[in-house]
Amino acid sequence: MAMTRDDLNKLKAETQAKEPKNWIRVGYSTCGVAAGAKEVFDVLTEEAKARNMDLLVKKCGCVGLCSAEPLVEVNIEGAPRVFYGKVNKEVAHRIMDEHVCQKKLVENHIYEI
Amino acid sequence: MKQILMQDTSGTLKKELRDLYVSFNSHLRDNGLADKAQVVLVSDIGVHNKGMVVKVLPEGFIYINVQSTHIADIVAKTVVNGAKVDALAYERPNKQMRIVLRHCGILDPESIEDYIAHDGYQGLANALAMGPEKVIEEMKKSGLRGRGGAGFPTWLKWNLTRAVKGEAKYIICNGDEGDPGAYMDRSVLEGDPHAVIEGMVIGGFAVGARNGIFYIRAEYPLAVARIQKAIDVCYAKGLLGKDIFGSGFDFDVEIRLGAGAFVCGEETALIASVEGLRGYPRPRPPFPSVKGLWDKPTVINNVETLANVSYILFKGGEAFGKIGIEGSTGTKVFALTGKVKNSGLVEVPMGTTLREIVFDIGGGVFENRAIKAIQTGGPSGGMIPQEFFDTPVGYESLQKLGSIMGSGGMIVMDENDCMVDISKFYLGFCVDESCGKCAPCRIGGVQMLEILKKITQGKGELDDLEKLSEIAEAMQRASLCGLGQTAANPVLSTMKYFGMEYEKHVINKKCPAGKCASLVQYSINKERCTGCGLCARNCPVNAISGDRQTKYTIDMAKCIGCGNCYEVCKFGAVLRQ
Ligand SMILES: Cc1cc2nc3c(=O)[nH]c(=O)nc-3n(C[C@H](O)[C@H](O)[C@H](O)COP(=O)(O)O)c2cc1C
Repeated sequence: MAMTRDDLNKLKAETQAKEPKNWIRVGYSTCGVAAGAKEVFDVLTEEAKARNMDLLVKKCGCVGLCSAEPLVEVNIEGAPRVFYGKVNKEVAHRIMDEHVCQKKLVENHIYEI
Repeated sequence: MKQILMQDTSGTLKKELRDLYVSFNSHLRDNGLADKAQVVLVSDIGVHNKGMVVKVLPEGFIYINVQSTHIADIVAKTVVNGAKVDALAYERPNKQMRIVLRHCGILDPESIEDYIAHDGYQGLANALAMGPEKVIEEMKKSGLRGRGGAGFPTWLKWNLTRAVKGEAKYIICNGDEGDPGAYMDRSVLEGDPHAVIEGMVIGGFAVGARNGIFYIRAEYPLAVARIQKAIDVCYAKGLLGKDIFGSGFDFDVEIRLGAGAFVCGEETALIASVEGLRGYPRPRPPFPSVKGLWDKPTVINNVETLANVSYILFKGGEAFGKIGIEGSTGTKVFALTGKVKNSGLVEVPMGTTLREIVFDIGGGVFENRAIKAIQTGGPSGGMIPQEFFDTPVGYESLQKLGSIMGSGGMIVMDENDCMVDISKFYLGFCVDESCGKCAPCRIGGVQMLEILKKITQGKGELDDLEKLSEIAEAMQRASLCGLGQTAANPVLSTMKYFGMEYEKHVINKKCPAGKCASLVQYSINKERCTGCGLCARNCPVNAISGDRQTKYTIDMAKCIGCGNCYEVCKFGAVLRQ
């Protein structure tokens, strides 16, 4: 059952084709977790579920700006893709309300990476 | 809908910026454009010391030194027409380049599908198709040198092990990462575990090893968990185990935990530790590439080195070799910490200058204080003063300055850091971590540390400086392993570049940075003192007394020189001498 190169390429193409349009990435390395990423991740996943949205919330590694963790990158159709830093529960709720639903950026938390 | 981003790095919305924000909004409203654009305050646009900075999305135009008189122009040209206001425009130089961190923050480290969708395991498939000699040839073309400290060419190390006859060989990934302030390897293990595994399998294939071992410190539980999960799923998918990609090549991987001794990052001590022995280094030769784990030929590579390998075998050695500078190709990840505004991980092509890293990427020094030095290479490295900040980063260039690239710690020091105190800190670290096997390191380190303590306590004598150099030389020459050989580097480099500071401590009994408690005296200037009492409330030993009328004074007999009063006084009334 070893994988062949064809299997690898097939899996690659399949996964790429499934890539969701709307996604949120949460920095979930030690730096992010220490700064409170778990709480943020939980709020985002719960809200996405509660609103029954076509939105993938996923855990990722660290992009490097550890001083601004927890970092959340948001890509929603109809709004620019941005990084939010120093996100807490409250900001996570605002990201869902304002950015995801109303396509408006949340103030005071955007960082350019 | 457009977005007008306004940078407010301090987060305090100073008056000038608030006015601009309000004017932007009212201008949009007055012109019936309120629903065409959103004005957003943001924490960082990545442009510093260029006045008020505005960025308009989706175009991405950045405008600097923006005044309220520019608003009409920006709105008319950019918001309405999507055109650039050339007079204000600024191109933000992109100094970073992501190879090692290519997937960190982008893919889910616990999903092999995500890794594969981002070209994962393509490098391994290429390697297995081209055969071991060609793999080493690619590595030679890439010019990759070890990222764990010594900078040994990776292809050469692999070739040495490959050349040894025999069935059993090993490849070990060194994830011990013990330098204070360094966490590049942790981030890579946590953020992109498959890239390191892929690099290891490629290395194993090139040298003829069938077994790979991850040596990771136990203090990195998340890294260990993610690597273990990645190993398990690789077995399930047939990317580890028997007959990988139908090539007939078998490879197994396991994890060993380190217990957090710095010396266990040294390759021979690491091998002893994996064998279940006490983590003592041993003399080389024989080098591990010939006689390593269980006396078998063993390649030891750093985490970042292996993460580069999977990239090189995917993109080709030649392309990689074009990045960076002569002798130091590719990129380097640094853990930028200390008194820098944006601390974190940065990855830059070799040849980027220290100044670019600290100022353009790191945003400069905290509270805009004066920078004094940059420390690279951790406890084996050295302190680099201002006049060399334009040095391009590379293995040889840093060595010439008396420091080393090391594994990538980069600590920014400002005017409040005392160079004698810092070298005492690093040396103290090596003394704590010395395994005690060889005398130069065990005894020399302690003696040097005693002298440094004396100096910082104001008991230094002139010949102490000479003694420091003498012991340092003995340690460099006679220590068994890299720990002792390099432990004196921070002391030597600070003595070389900041000799004046040592002399001030020894001759004048003063600490210019005000750090060494025995050498500073605090007093309160009664004219400036408002009698608020904040200093007295922050004094841990109740050495400050007074009231609103009489003002406050410090009882020198009780004062321990901690400097709390100096830090908290809002009126500059506490004096430090
Ligand atoms: C005291 C001491 C500590 C070391 N710690 C590490 C470490 O934590 N990680 C690492 O990769 N190399 C460390 N090294 C260097 C290793 O001995 C070895 O050179 C390196 O792992 C080789 O990998 P590379 O060729 O990929 O750089 C240390 C060396 C010394 C002397």
